[in-house]
Amino acid sequence: MKKRNVKVRKFGLYFLLLVGALISLFPFYWSAIGATNESGSMFTKPPTLIPGNQLLENMSNLNEQIGIGRVMFNSLFISITYTIIALFVCSMASYAFAKFKFKGRDIIFTIFLLSMMVPYHATIIPLFKMMASWGWLNQYQAVILPNIAYPFAIFLMRQNMLAFPTALIEASRIDGASEWKIFYKVVLPSMKPALAATAIFLFMYQWNSFLWPLIALSSTDMYTFPVALSSLFGLSRIDYGQVMTGVTLATVPIIIFFLSLQRYFISGMLGSALKE
Amino acid sequence: MKKWNKIGFMFIALALLAAGCSGEEESSADGKVELVAWAWNVNVGALEDAIAIYQEEHPDVALKVEDIGRLDVYDKLATGLAAGGVGLPDIVLVEDDRIAGYLEAFPNEFANLSELGFDKHKEVFPDFKNELTSHNETSYAMPFDAGPVGMFYRRSVFNAAGVDVNAIQTWDDFLEAGTIIKEKTGVYAMPLDMYKDDPIFRMMLSQLGVFYYDEAGNIDLTNPKVVQAMEMLKQFGEAELLKDVDGWNGIVSATINGTVATIPFGVAYSGTIMDQAKDSAGDWGVFLMPAFEEGGNRAANIGGSSFMLVESSKKKQAAYDFMEFFTTDPEVQIIALEDYGLFPSLSTVYDTEAFTSDVQFFGEQKIWTLFAEEIKDVKMPYYTKDYSLGLNEAMKAQASMFNGEDPATALQNAAESLADRTARDINQY
Repeated sequence: MKKRNVKVRKFGLYFLLLVGALISLFPFYWSAIGATNESGSMFTKPPTLIPGNQLLENMSNLNEQIGIGRVMFNSLFISITYTIIALFVCSMASYAFAKFKFKGRDIIFTIFLLSMMVPYHATIIPLFKMMASWGWLNQYQAVILPNIAYPFAIFLMRQNMLAFPTALIEASRIDGASEWKIFYKVVLPSMKPALAATAIFLFMYQWNSFLWPLIALSSTDMYTFPVALSSLFGLSRIDYGQVMTGVTLATVPIIIFFLSLQRYFISGMLGSALKE
Repeated sequence: MKKWNKIGFMFIALALLAAGCSGEEESSADGKVELVAWAWNVNVGALEDAIAIYQEEHPDVALKVEDIGRLDVYDKLATGLAAGGVGLPDIVLVEDDRIAGYLEAFPNEFANLSELGFDKHKEVFPDFKNELTSHNETSYAMPFDAGPVGMFYRRSVFNAAGVDVNAIQTWDDFLEAGTIIKEKTGVYAMPLDMYKDDPIFRMMLSQLGVFYYDEAGNIDLTNPKVVQAMEMLKQFGEAELLKDVDGWNGIVSATINGTVATIPFGVAYSGTIMDQAKDSAGDWGVFLMPAFEEGGNRAANIGGSSFMLVESSKKKQAAYDFMEFFTTDPEVQIIALEDYGLFPSLSTVYDTEAFTSDVQFFGEQKIWTLFAEEIKDVKMPYYTKDYSLGLNEAMKAQASMFNGEDPATALQNAAESLADRTARDINQY
């Protein structure tokens, strides 16, 4: 009796999960189908739900329009470089905020958090002027560098750093380890899950970032994916086959990135071996 | 230790790479000029084809066209202008409904074309286009494409319902015809994003020679003609002849799947139909918007764009010379129509073969001739810098009208709220 109950409940649970999965997967399926069909076919009645044979055609059209290889390289290069630098900077900053005692620490941290509330649009023009006066417009660093100290990432890492046992740091100091060594040999290795979560967050942020790359980058060969995709929208002439192909291609790296870090993410969540 | 060192090296290497990889190329200064233009979509191709022709006589001039999304151009332009004119191109494509806004907000940032001699071309462009591109009697933009309105209709639907297109002269006729079509075929008369956009209303205003604002910049939503347009729309709504669609994609969708009999839009929509509904070639036709009264005006315009030159550009003269060629050369404008579906406002091309021949996709109809004739009668809409606020209030008025409010009341409320937002006066009638 009890066993059956469990079975029924399990069935119900899996059914709900299945429906949820289908609903969240459908847009991906839809865009992939759109990528293999002609432009107008996604509007037919009934809707086209089976793959067509236009994928290569759409790919070559899209390539002609935006240069897929170049755009993919730009996006990957900017996002990966940004993630590495920002992760490095943010983890150091959060370590300082969490484990060092210095004058004005909490005030600085509060100011940092408050800066999250400044609307991004308010900073665009000064930032643009700054980049222009350094001659950085239309260069990768104009997109990569401005947000490397990302307040939310620092906040996220700091919360994790706070949980790290101070005793361990003190013990390392007594053993004669340098501060630098303590940071990246003692503290960081145990932060892998937090680093993975922050990395996913930073990567997604930069990969999807639109307004700033649009404004800072001015030539077509420097465009990132979102900017290049947006250029496909004219007033009345939109090739939906190209758009869907582009959208599908743009989601692939993010899925790969997430899946490759997900391992750390979950193992970290389950197996935190450190106890205060 | 090793692992972290590796990451450290990688970080430094990447940083160096980032510094080394740059897209900016300094052009060499040996008499050669490279112009930069911002444009979107099919306009890019038209510009690129034009420079190739231009270079036959001006081999020293090159053009780099940056393909930017239509609305994205404005974000970039506004940022560059607000930052004091940095990072701007030499040439920028701007939609006509935005020109007044830029000229009012940044009066000194765009090249004075009257000074450069563009006024001599006024005769070859329609009057409303000349007015749209001027500010205080001075020309600031070179007219390019225009958007004379047509009712794009499906021949098979009209035939099935036994309705003769030529008999539709007034909106009342069309209301009647639409009802018959709906009864016999179940197909709606027109698609409209009823609660979020007002293109049909705007086209009706253009037809009636009124707009959200009048020539003096006062709010004109209370004008009896504006009320008349809104009332007509209400009748179509009540007769359930409007298919409520979601945004631009919804209109395209209704066009392709045959749930609407006509789509009222600017001439560029012909390109949309040809691109997206290839299978329905030959089944389409165009007629002019029905008039509000027998023998009334049937010409209207929606959309269209023009080119502006940036005043601070060091290559202003070269940019002017090329764009003067681009906008006034018949060969270029014929390419724009034939290869890119951009309907030129340059009237000297209207009697060429490209414009007077039958269009197979539209059932052998001479649709370009129809639009070329129409464009002469288009009246000037006064957009002002508060166009987007006016649009927003008009949309809200339309939504509350469809929710049951009286058109005159809805428009009065919209006018008052617009007056609050813009500090403009409301016209009293």
